[in-house]
Amino acid sequence: MSLLEVDGLTVGVARSPTSILANVSFSVPAGRIVGLVGESGSGKTMAALTMMGLLPDGIEVRSGSVRIDGRQLMDPEAMAVTRRAGDMAMIFQHPQAALNPTMRVGRQIARVFSLQQGCGRDEAMSLAIEMLSRVGIPGAGRVARAYPHQLSGGMCQRVMIAMALACRPRVLIADEPTTALDVTIQAQIFDLIRDLVAETGAGVLFITHDLAAVAEMCDAVTVLFGGQVMEEGSRDDIFRRPRNPYTTYLLDSVQKEVDPHVIEAGVDFELVGCRFGHRCRYAWEECGRVPDLITVGAGHRSACFLHTVEETRAGAS
Amino acid sequence: MPALLEVRGLRKTFGRGRGALPAVRGVDLDVERGETVGVVGESGCGKTTLARMVAGLTRATDGDIRFDGSVLDGSSASTENRRRIQMVFQHPAQSLNRRMSVGAMLAEPLRLLAGVPRSETADRIEEMLGLVGLDPAFRNRRPRQLSGGQQQRVAIARALMPDPDLVVLDEPTSSLDQSLRGRIIALLRRIQQIRDVSYLFISHDLGTVRRIADRVAVMYLGRIVEVAGARQLFENPRHPYTKALLSVAPTMDLDRTRERIILEGETPSPTELPTGCSFQDRCPLVFDRCREESPVLTLVGDYREVECFAVGP
Amino acid sequence: MSGRSHPGGAERFIPPRIDGGAKVLPLASRKPLAVVGMIILAVYILLAAVGPFFVADPVATNPADALLAPSLDHLMGTDNFGRDVFSRAVHSARLDLTLGVVIAICAMVIGSAIGVVAGYWGGTVDEVLMRFTDIVLAFPGFVLALILVAVLGNSTLNVGIAVTAAFVPYFIRLTRAQALSERELEYVDGAKLAGNRSGRVAFFHVLPNSLEPSLVTATLVAGWAILTVSGLAFLGVGIKPPTAEWGVMVSEGARDIDAGHWWTSLFPGGMIVLAAMAFHFIGDEFGGREA
Repeated sequence: MSLLEVDGLTVGVARSPTSILANVSFSVPAGRIVGLVGESGSGKTMAALTMMGLLPDGIEVRSGSVRIDGRQLMDPEAMAVTRRAGDMAMIFQHPQAALNPTMRVGRQIARVFSLQQGCGRDEAMSLAIEMLSRVGIPGAGRVARAYPHQLSGGMCQRVMIAMALACRPRVLIADEPTTALDVTIQAQIFDLIRDLVAETGAGVLFITHDLAAVAEMCDAVTVLFGGQVMEEGSRDDIFRRPRNPYTTYLLDSVQKEVDPHVIEAGVDFELVGCRFGHRCRYAWEECGRVPDLITVGAGHRSACFLHTVEETRAGAS
Repeated sequence: MPALLEVRGLRKTFGRGRGALPAVRGVDLDVERGETVGVVGESGCGKTTLARMVAGLTRATDGDIRFDGSVLDGSSASTENRRRIQMVFQHPAQSLNRRMSVGAMLAEPLRLLAGVPRSETADRIEEMLGLVGLDPAFRNRRPRQLSGGQQQRVAIARALMPDPDLVVLDEPTSSLDQSLRGRIIALLRRIQQIRDVSYLFISHDLGTVRRIADRVAVMYLGRIVEVAGARQLFENPRHPYTKALLSVAPTMDLDRTRERIILEGETPSPTELPTGCSFQDRCPLVFDRCREESPVLTLVGDYREVECFAVGP
Repeated sequence: MSGRSHPGGAERFIPPRIDGGAKVLPLASRKPLAVVGMIILAVYILLAAVGPFFVADPVATNPADALLAPSLDHLMGTDNFGRDVFSRAVHSARLDLTLGVVIAICAMVIGSAIGVVAGYWGGTVDEVLMRFTDIVLAFPGFVLALILVAVLGNSTLNVGIAVTAAFVPYFIRLTRAQALSERELEYVDGAKLAGNRSGRVAFFHVLPNSLEPSLVTATLVAGWAILTVSGLAFLGVGIKPPTAEWGVMVSEGARDIDAGHWWTSLFPGGMIVLAAMAFHFIGDEFGGREA
């Protein structure tokens, strides 16, 4: 059983038939890094916010469950996530916005320790400084006394990570953790996340649009488009043996020469069937319905009606 | 024949006195006709300031920018030079006037720079929209009715409108989804084949630069530390900073085995640079001389220049 | 686009969509107060536009009918000269609404033109203009208008000029603040590269993008201008009797209250309040919660 299991999550705009996440399921096993990949508008950030119970006003959970270690995290009555400290921590894309600007960063981390372990002020602070040096911040004592605005983006991101680690989370959700950072800093942050997994056996949900980062970091990948899961599988499945037309399109757009004159339409959330329907070169009448995820290999599933056709053809011949 | 763009000893310092921030600290760079030169570097390395000085939006503190043989003076850029050097910005939504229609935006440079009368702009706009892959009906749209990729196409169209010889592209794909980047790059290359325009392509994204540039300059703390043909540079980097940068850039190649060089610490603040080489505190090859003297760009091979004492020909 | 055959053999697939997908909620439930304001304002505009053609002469006196209580013949009663209060109130709506709107528009045009100059160029021009607005804003608008009318002389035009001048600094401030942030955006550089000289950049590019806060405030100012104009008239400054104007009417009617003739002042007073409120509702809801 996986550490984090998200099952049939459907999230929509209040008082409107459109859904931002439609029946999304994925899981993160302990000690693994799972990538949640998609373009902007694919719903990947919305999935993270739902799990953290941080949905903005006007967005509501319609159905689905979020479980950690088999324990239900979502209150089915209120359709809201009831999180327990230590279950999950999240690293945001813009660390400056996620840190409290009026509090020294050391205090912010120390507060996590005192809230969670009930230790005293001084002890919490020394734990905070220790944590800051563990994430590779030189002169941690000095940095602990700084306010977020006095630190660079890379530094703030590491403070965020230190804070997330201070929670000793079972699951770490990293939402575009390095998109705003330079590659040399990105490499340091990636190492930190890998170290966390190796040391504590935590599961990481790594949310990004950057396929190269996924290839570098993840053990398994879930591909999202327009709030629907298109394909899921191991890293090798997705990069070497992609089956879904959307995954192929995504990989091609990065690796191959593309026709510059094809204009890419955005995500259309009002489509009834497959959300990739209006961009897919294989689309046909069946695609007016939502395809189910079909097993196409061991641990490799893809949602596309092409697979049903292939099966029938294979059966006939 | 001299290069189309010749940058010599270019410097820019923001502010004065003790808090003065040297953003560009003596840059030499050429761009030939029809060539694409990529400038890569991390945030704060001065690449955007360099781009803005070339486009005439920021005045250099010192040094020369020569364009087609004549010296550009930031303050009095003539209409003709304005016409011949254009720029595309990083944020497509922000770089377009949100209250203007696409057609009105494209007409402006035509009328103001190329002196085309209002009555003749319509055909040229339609032709340009076609070139960047947009339907002629887009001329009546406003920026907010366009997707990010479409906005950037409009921004590219605006820059090409007065038929420039050089287009400065400042991170033109950074704020776009990865799946769109390839298309914009392909579009830029297609345009270059048709229009014979030169590009100065600024980016922090090595993968993007690799797909478009003929030559690449790597900047670190306001100086170019290595410049070479794109293929040479990506396949065989020489400067220790370039090596580290390439070694940690993620790729989709699952089979790649390489030694990652993780640099210690962060880029030092440009306001408090050490004496000698500015890369000394993070450099794996550092030795005594690096702490005393500043290296300069030196030719170390065919068309390759490196600014490092530890790298010989 | 591609020549590949589809598995189902369809030529071009048009995906089905949800019927009437993302519906926008009606304005009335998103901004109820603004809708109330608009309804009140629509009634006023109707009264001001066509009302004067249907009601009695607002200045015709008729001592025989003096101080009649409201009835079907005289909806708002008559005053002590026997003039029909409703007819005077309707005529006055035309004058006050016109003054309010014209003052707001003039103040906005002048104020935002100055504001964009200050905000876009900055430097000494900005310093001087800001100190000047500091001084002007130190006076309450009403007092400033009072002084200006005293200097300029009593006339409807001078009241308009005085009240406009009192409101201009608000628009200077607003537009300047917006222009200061607008000039940092990339489209300003884009406009320069497109060949715009700085004057064109400021007025053709930065100004239209800096107007939004001023447009909202203009609605509020229209309401305040009506209050100021009628307030001045109440004090006997600016518009004078026997002109039909709400402030004048309240001032004249105030004498009758002691004798129990409440209608001569209450109705015009209520019209002032409603008009100011209507503008305020609209400006407030469009300015505060969204945009």
